[in-house]
Amino acid sequence: MDFSLTEEQLTIKKSAIEFAEKALNNGYKERERNCEFNQDGWEKCADFGIHGLSMPAKYGGLEMDILACVATMEGLGYACRDSGLLFAINSHIWTCESPILKFGTDYQKDKYLPGLCGGVLKGGHAMTESDSGSDAFSMKCKAEKKGDRYIINGSKIFITNAPIADILLVFAVTDPQKGFAGISVFIVEKGFPGFSVGKPLDMMGLKTCPLGEVVLQDCEVPEENRLGKEGAGAAIFNSEMEWERSCLFATHVGAMEKDLEECIRYVKDRHQFGKPVGKYQAISHKIAEMKVRLELSKLILFKVAWLKSQGKRAPIECALSKLFISESYVENCMEALQIHGAYGYSAEMDFEKNLRDSIAGKIYSGTSEIQKNVIATLLGI
Amino acid sequence: MSISEKLEKFMFTEIVAKLGKKSLNPEEDLLEQGIIDSLGIVKLVSFIEEAFNLTIDDDEILPENFQSLNSISRLVEQKTGYK
Repeated sequence: MDFSLTEEQLTIKKSAIEFAEKALNNGYKERERNCEFNQDGWEKCADFGIHGLSMPAKYGGLEMDILACVATMEGLGYACRDSGLLFAINSHIWTCESPILKFGTDYQKDKYLPGLCGGVLKGGHAMTESDSGSDAFSMKCKAEKKGDRYIINGSKIFITNAPIADILLVFAVTDPQKGFAGISVFIVEKGFPGFSVGKPLDMMGLKTCPLGEVVLQDCEVPEENRLGKEGAGAAIFNSEMEWERSCLFATHVGAMEKDLEECIRYVKDRHQFGKPVGKYQAISHKIAEMKVRLELSKLILFKVAWLKSQGKRAPIECALSKLFISESYVENCMEALQIHGAYGYSAEMDFEKNLRDSIAGKIYSGTSEIQKNVIATLLGI
Repeated sequence: MSISEKLEKFMFTEIVAKLGKKSLNPEEDLLEQGIIDSLGIVKLVSFIEEAFNLTIDDDEILPENFQSLNSISRLVEQKTGYK
């Protein structure tokens, strides 16, 4: 069994690292303090091809396979200090672009994918409501068919990219009798009548990724903007989540690798009581545990990517991967901060920012608790 | 075992029995009755793909195909060409 990346995948990963180091880190600290989205970074990523990594060439994509996509995301996570930017791009790809490719009509694909792949259009999805987070399918947002259009009423909250999005995939109930099977998806453009976005929300981390509330008040959406058939919402959401749980967390693996390298350098250089702090078992064991979490994260990440590249479903593996990688990232960030002591706690370094950013990973794409539910249920419990 | 018998056995042991139901009418509305949830569909689709060696496309996971045991059987029969 060969666990190594191919030459091509290594080259792609290395290119992503070089690109991120050169183009994405200027001014990231100030942007984080000001909660400012990196529009320049977004455009540079689009020019580099990030937004269209796995998309067909006819829409301006690079047609990379999933393993190469994951290697690229790992490289970006390693080198880009702006986690909010990477999160915004990943949400754009996996919760908007990818579902349109998979479930969209030719009209929808031709209309939206070139702009999305080129980064000219910004996308996301609007699922969560104030009373339906983990219980996502108990949403109240309704879509009623009237003639050749749907009228949507409801509100969504904690929507990634909402303040900057040109389009959002809005999930709404079309048949309340059918529960989760009565939910449909609509491609809603920001200019549609009845659509509005509230002010950006102030979150603990990922501060450079805009997040906000969406309000739909008699929002008119043409029938041709329904994504998939009526009632396909749950299937579209589950498919999105498999891809998001597979690929988005690749950036965390890259970030863990970078953090570990920095910690190893530090514990060799920093001397206390006459010797490098790395010589104290309390510290060396932390480093060893960080390495264990990093390597196991890589294994599960690439196993999932491999399964998806074979066209296989991987619901339990995706849940395992998301749970393990997100929790490992938080633990590693905490240990990196602790290893650096007061320097780690200082906002002058990145460790406290990384920790704040990492905690969101235990919540989005389905909380850790939900992943455990998924795993247990799929094991037949 | 026929397709519908295999499906009924799976549905009963993995989905229905946990709800305390003693039987499943083949025309019973699984969705409106809340008998199967979204995770149940994921389990069912994985079972169907493995048991019948076929692929169910994500855009086939629609209410009309999973509404009842009979509609699920029809989907599988259509895709396998067997009864």
